[in-house]
Amino acid sequence: MSNSEAPSGRSAGLPTGRAPGRSAVLAGLGGWVPPRQVTNADLSARLDTSDSWIRSRTGIATRHVVAPGDATSDLAVEAGRLALKSAGGADGEDGADAVVLATTTPDRPCPATAPEVADRLGLGGSAAFDVSAVCTGFLYALAAGQGLIAAGTAERVLVIGADAFTTIIDPQDRGTAVIFADGAGAVVLRAGRPDEPGALGRVFLGSDGSRSQLIQVPAGGSRQRSTGVPARERDTYFQMSGQQTFRQAVERMSAVSRQAVDSAGWKLADVDRIAAHQANARILGAVGEELGVPEERFLSNIEHVGNTGAASIPLLLHHSHADRSLGTGDRLLLTAFGAGLAWGATTVVWPDLPG
Amino acid sequence: MFETLKDILVNKLKVSPDTITAEATPEEIDLDSLAIVELSLVLEKELGLAVSEDELSEAGTVGDIVRLMDERSARV
Repeated sequence: MSNSEAPSGRSAGLPTGRAPGRSAVLAGLGGWVPPRQVTNADLSARLDTSDSWIRSRTGIATRHVVAPGDATSDLAVEAGRLALKSAGGADGEDGADAVVLATTTPDRPCPATAPEVADRLGLGGSAAFDVSAVCTGFLYALAAGQGLIAAGTAERVLVIGADAFTTIIDPQDRGTAVIFADGAGAVVLRAGRPDEPGALGRVFLGSDGSRSQLIQVPAGGSRQRSTGVPARERDTYFQMSGQQTFRQAVERMSAVSRQAVDSAGWKLADVDRIAAHQANARILGAVGEELGVPEERFLSNIEHVGNTGAASIPLLLHHSHADRSLGTGDRLLLTAFGAGLAWGATTVVWPDLPG
Repeated sequence: MFETLKDILVNKLKVSPDTITAEATPEEIDLDSLAIVELSLVLEKELGLAVSEDELSEAGTVGDIVRLMDERSARV
């Protein structure tokens, strides 16, 4: 007779310290972009493009980029500090015992960037690791943080999405140089109950490695380095097949969003706000069309920050919370898609956060 | 079918109506590579017509796209 046939309600067999139904709850939020700004006019001065071309095709007017010598950790520390500060006020606790950093542009190929970020935030000694899932990285990192809390491995997790994405973009490629930008966003997750505001829903994640070549930096990894032959310069930069990526993005984000909304027991019509990866305003328009959700429910900051990779969603939450387009009690859907291919979605009822 | 396509191009893809003629090329009506995918998605969702972005990319004019749509709807 197996343990699963034990009478329900008995907790015997559960590992000690693990509370049944323990949820990860949003307790703090922060976002940061580097001060250096690049407008469409700046780009038009050095590339064959124009303000109206960039705006009509991407929805982007301006973006921020790191200063020479700055790295992803510098962005992550700023956003992380703001998130910890925002989480500190409510219940008197502060800090975090784990730091999960989603990034595509670590400071160095080895080691992970998260330990240094943790140390600089005064969280030295805590668990710290990077998550590599490109533009879906923040949702993968949220799921990791949620798992650490559910298993009792951590009580409070700082989840950061940060990218100095422009460092892998070919400055002469007008297709990608106008889209990608730098920034960071972060949240603090704490242990809590599944029925309280801010409790994360199930995170739905997926991938399709058979299409890994659609969005990639071909060189710099073991595949190229094992050849012993120096990489061609263009292969050291980010490349994207726009047309196929567009279709995959619309189809995958629409499908995974439906899963997350169903799992929350909601209907699409119940969703007050959607925080979707700010890849391209047109992709989001097509996702809205596919889901039958009106455009005004989509939060948006792409006009001011461009596509900031793993930072995109937490930075969007930060800006939307600050300008009150996202309010306490809003039923929020989060969804992302990117290289891998990888995609994800989850839901949360927006909690009462400071700021 | 031309009017149906024109309707989609104007309302969903924000193409200016006076540029749309049967002889116009995708370039002349400002239909870039991503708009081709948007059009393919809309044709499938709104009309149930499966026309891939590759087929649409090969269409030389708006009239050619209409012919593709006619072909597909005849098969249904």
